Amino acid sequence: MFFRKPAQQQQRNRWIPIAIFIGPVMVYYLAFMIYPFFATIYYSFNTITPVQGALTTSFVGLKNYISLFNDKVFLLSVKNTLIWSVVGPALEMTTALTLAFLIYFKVPLHRFYRTAWFTPLLVSGVIVGLVFRWIFNNEWGLLNASLRAVGLEGWALNWLGRRDTPLMVVIFVHYWATFGYSMVLLLAGLSAIPEELLDAAKVDGASLLQTVMRIMIPMLWPTFITVLILSFIGKMRAFHVVWALTGGGPMHFTETVATYVQKRAFGWSTLDLGYPSAMAVLWFGVVMLGVGLINRWLKHRVEY
Amino acid sequence: MFRKIYTLFAVVLIAAFALAACAPQTVIETVEVEKTVEVEKIVEVEKTVEVEKIVEVTPTAPPQAEGGKELIVWWSHWANEPAKKAMVEKVVADYEAEHPNVDIVLTWWDKNPLKDAIRSTMTAGGEGAPDLVYFENELEWVQAGWMVDLADALPWDNFDPMAKLDGTYPDQGYPGIYKFNISKVTNMLFYNKEIFAELGITVPENYQFTQAEFLEVVKRCSAAGYAGVADAIGNRPYPGVWPVQYALFSLVGPQEFDLYNAGKKAWDTPEARAALEYSVALRDAGLWPESFSTMTIDEFHVYFHTQRKACMLYIPTWYTGRAFKAQADGGQDPNWHFGMLRYPAMDGGKANDLVWAGTESGFGILSTTKHEATAKDILAYLAQPKYGALWTAVTNSPSMIKYDVAADWPDNDTLTALNVVPGQWDWYWEEYNKVYGGLELGIAPTARCGGFNDVVTSVLNEGLPQNLVSVDEAIEALNGALCQ
Repeated sequence: MFFRKPAQQQQRNRWIPIAIFIGPVMVYYLAFMIYPFFATIYYSFNTITPVQGALTTSFVGLKNYISLFNDKVFLLSVKNTLIWSVVGPALEMTTALTLAFLIYFKVPLHRFYRTAWFTPLLVSGVIVGLVFRWIFNNEWGLLNASLRAVGLEGWALNWLGRRDTPLMVVIFVHYWATFGYSMVLLLAGLSAIPEELLDAAKVDGASLLQTVMRIMIPMLWPTFITVLILSFIGKMRAFHVVWALTGGGPMHFTETVATYVQKRAFGWSTLDLGYPSAMAVLWFGVVMLGVGLINRWLKHRVEY
Repeated sequence: MFRKIYTLFAVVLIAAFALAACAPQTVIETVEVEKTVEVEKIVEVEKTVEVEKIVEVTPTAPPQAEGGKELIVWWSHWANEPAKKAMVEKVVADYEAEHPNVDIVLTWWDKNPLKDAIRSTMTAGGEGAPDLVYFENELEWVQAGWMVDLADALPWDNFDPMAKLDGTYPDQGYPGIYKFNISKVTNMLFYNKEIFAELGITVPENYQFTQAEFLEVVKRCSAAGYAGVADAIGNRPYPGVWPVQYALFSLVGPQEFDLYNAGKKAWDTPEARAALEYSVALRDAGLWPESFSTMTIDEFHVYFHTQRKACMLYIPTWYTGRAFKAQADGGQDPNWHFGMLRYPAMDGGKANDLVWAGTESGFGILSTTKHEATAKDILAYLAQPKYGALWTAVTNSPSMIKYDVAADWPDNDTLTALNVVPGQWDWYWEEYNKVYGGLELGIAPTARCGGFNDVVTSVLNEGLPQNLVSVDEAIEALNGALCQ
């Protein structure tokens, strides 16, 4: 004999596996994402001071936030990060889109290119930083050695020891390391465009350029916006490459908000997490604002 | 049916999580097991039982001592300095042999990750923190009550008097002594004898150029295609500051220099300006290597002793930690003998006959330890004169622990067991004693507040040597960040 279980019990039974599957992830998420997030907000309104053998947390209201606007290094790091978040995605999206089309249209050796262009992404940011520190070494670095070898002595610069070039170098290295990711996402977007549409365009006599401009790019636009936002967020939080390549120097010329938060939190001979927390919270707001603006400006252009 | 499969899968997943959580503990115990095997085979059975018990009951517990021993966890830096590791491991082995009820677990770290780990564990209440720990001059650790006062724990008569002047902060309200100083640092200046001979540079009889002569030496080196000094800042926040510090020390003497260096005195004085302007003159003469901005500390050692692309090297006595190791590991040729110089005599300098001395990072005890008495006993044990001699013999660094060479110097068997070739570096010590031996040391610790330290790094270490900032701008920045 078979009996159907009561509906309530069935409902309960259905929750058990759901809880088992989601539970560990939720615990992880709550412990390592949600709690630190709210703790950071909490600490940003406080100062933690060691006094006579104990850590004391004192509420200081908006003092940490106000101090940020008088902190020259913070303002410089904001400027650097904003420059990067404009230049970086522009460079990255242009290259990634071009390369994605090249691979999509199966130019000769396209399989090799796909692998080659994606490979930098597989290398750790720290390793990338260290390798490029060698490449940009003023004395024996690959770049300067090559320039000197072809008689361009004057172009061989102390790339990481000047006022004007270090930020460009860092932006370039990060771009080199990450454009493959954007390219792959865009390639996936291109591959998802229905073949029928392209065939129909061909039948209607559309040229390749017309097909790209009138069909493929509009169809790719939602993916493009997503990739652009990911790229923008990546630049706003850039850390590893900078840390390994320049450490934010010289004289904070390559400092980003992320590296400065790290320095203030762990390298400032203080145990105060309040001030760096304020930086992190403020920057979180700026990133959210930036993402919102990108969405607002570009989303309405999604038309088919 | 599917539900059962899902449930089964989930159970397997959870079991996997549980096993993964247990994994690190197993690794730690494996280390313990190996040690036991070396000492006594009979313990084999106990070993197995111990591992099982720990995995089952306390999978996240810290390392446990075997057989009811008292476990002392010791986190040390110097992960990349084999001689220092060998010396400390020898002391640990000796202590364990004399105290069979104590088991010391040493973990070697790089300095920065170690500091981050201490901050994390101590701010979280000290769970998992070690008993003995690296300590340099982290005033905030003392302010937070993390460090045990060692004033009454060590036989201070065994130490150079300088030891008690470092790791103490009476002006901040912390008059205790929180640091066990094992190494005494002398800041030195080396030169390449072959290059000097090639360029016809003669070292004065007292090994000290005048300010102007030294500048001329740098110019001649640069003109011949050599860097004045090999030092670079690729991964360190201080080599670029050395010319300023050496000059300022000689100009004003140790006490006043300490005030400048610690951010307690404004830099808009004639002396500070003179030191900064002299460093600029040296820079413009070609003091720094072309790779100044990117060369790491290990690389600039090699640049000096193996590549030999620089005339000189500003360096403290911890040069030996990186240079006096196997050549295959980046060490120097033991048969290549460089020379030593006193700092340039600054015009009107008050301390031209002194040597700037300080301390290297040492050890302390964390207040969360449950084994304070034993931890203190270990440090007191380490303070024996024979270990001062062993430190010098093995690491080729001066020791803060006083010793009698005749009575305390280790025998050749001991040294050989620690991979030391007896007599290999005697020439180094002869040179050291010849140049610096008769000079008085002037101590100046380098504890600074974070803001001033950052400006010293960005302006003096990075900016001034690379002509990114003027002397006036440097003074303004330094004065704007003075410690309260």
